Amino acid sequence: MSDGRLPLTLLGGALGSGKTTWARHQLYDGAFGAGLHVLVNEAAEVPVDDQLLVRAEGVTVLAGGCVCCTGQQALRAALRDLCDRRSRGAGPNRVLLETSGLADPGAIAANLRSDPILARHLRLDGILVAIDAVHALTQLAEEPLIHRQIAVADRLILTKVDVANPADLQRLQVGLGLRNPAAKIEGSQHGVTVALPSTPRDFPASLPASPNPPDPAVAAVLQLPADLDWAETMVWLSALLHARGDRVVRVKGVIPSAEGRLLVQSVRGVVEPPELLPPQPRDGDGRLVFLGRGFSETALEQSLRSFLDLPDAESSGCSEQEDGIAV
Amino acid sequence: MCTACGIPAAPGVWTEAGAASAGDRLRARARQVRHLDRILRRHGLTVAEGGTVPGFQLARLTGEVVLVPDLPAVWAEAARMLGRPVDPLAAPYV
Repeated sequence: MSDGRLPLTLLGGALGSGKTTWARHQLYDGAFGAGLHVLVNEAAEVPVDDQLLVRAEGVTVLAGGCVCCTGQQALRAALRDLCDRRSRGAGPNRVLLETSGLADPGAIAANLRSDPILARHLRLDGILVAIDAVHALTQLAEEPLIHRQIAVADRLILTKVDVANPADLQRLQVGLGLRNPAAKIEGSQHGVTVALPSTPRDFPASLPASPNPPDPAVAAVLQLPADLDWAETMVWLSALLHARGDRVVRVKGVIPSAEGRLLVQSVRGVVEPPELLPPQPRDGDGRLVFLGRGFSETALEQSLRSFLDLPDAESSGCSEQEDGIAV
Repeated sequence: MCTACGIPAAPGVWTEAGAASAGDRLRARARQVRHLDRILRRHGLTVAEGGTVPGFQLARLTGEVVLVPDLPAVWAEAARMLGRPVDPLAAPYV
């Protein structure tokens, strides 16, 4: 549902993961609609990717600094300019920010949300992360950043699937699904969306762990009690994100409310205004996915119940949850 | 934003979502105040309705009262008053 703010899509992924190839083809297909402005961030001083994105209505290059850290001010200035132009009736309908391969999209989302002007004018519409299906297993073992990129994604785009080893591709598909159950996983070949092969349920899928992590990453799914009021859920979730926002990297789920189905999602403790979804109930309603470190499904459920003074799961008829998956 | 009280401080605070009517909003706020007061009394703080503005009154038992606009601000102010955050994933909650 539109709230009048300018939708911003983040496209991240490691260096050489195929972000620009994917974006170029999606632009050719018109996947982002008319009036798209593309912001391209290149950590290097000499930009090249902007030459490839000629189908966009406007392209701005932010070169010479990664926009999640050193180039943060340049990004804010560029986005404020776009918002200003839109307020005057001449701006874009949507913005796609292609980050450099060195950027943490979660940090960018948190920075933008903390900007008092941009928070009022921009709506984060999704975080897309390109994963190089040929090199991802090696990158996962060597590069902590790719783990952070995966954790905050709404869509994981497996690129170069035509040249990837089929066994590696299946391992990535299943492993990424466990690492970030909230993300949609899709395949891409030269930027064209392709179907991924089906994988057996018992396929061994552990992905390489982040090099020297402080403790294991966890993906936990919390089924909210059916009789729990949404306003009460907000009390617990807001306290949790305030205290543990640095460790709970991502929360995503649909909470039923008086107004309807609310899509709630956070990145590193920063929560976007919930989106009201179409009224038809779906299987995953009332379920929150937590990604991060330092918690488990059991701890989350126990915390929810004791914080809100709810009866135990057994006495309230809730099914027992298995503990979170270390990924 | 109200130029007198500065509320809401930001657009679309996520914890305010979900109410379909003014009645829903009032009932939700009453339930939240009840929980907040029960939780924070354990830490020596109390919470009440904001009164004439749509916020929460957070008070120490010494009498210091702070008006905060929304749930995230309640936890931030409570952390300031207590010198540590109220952590639902720590004792006595887990």
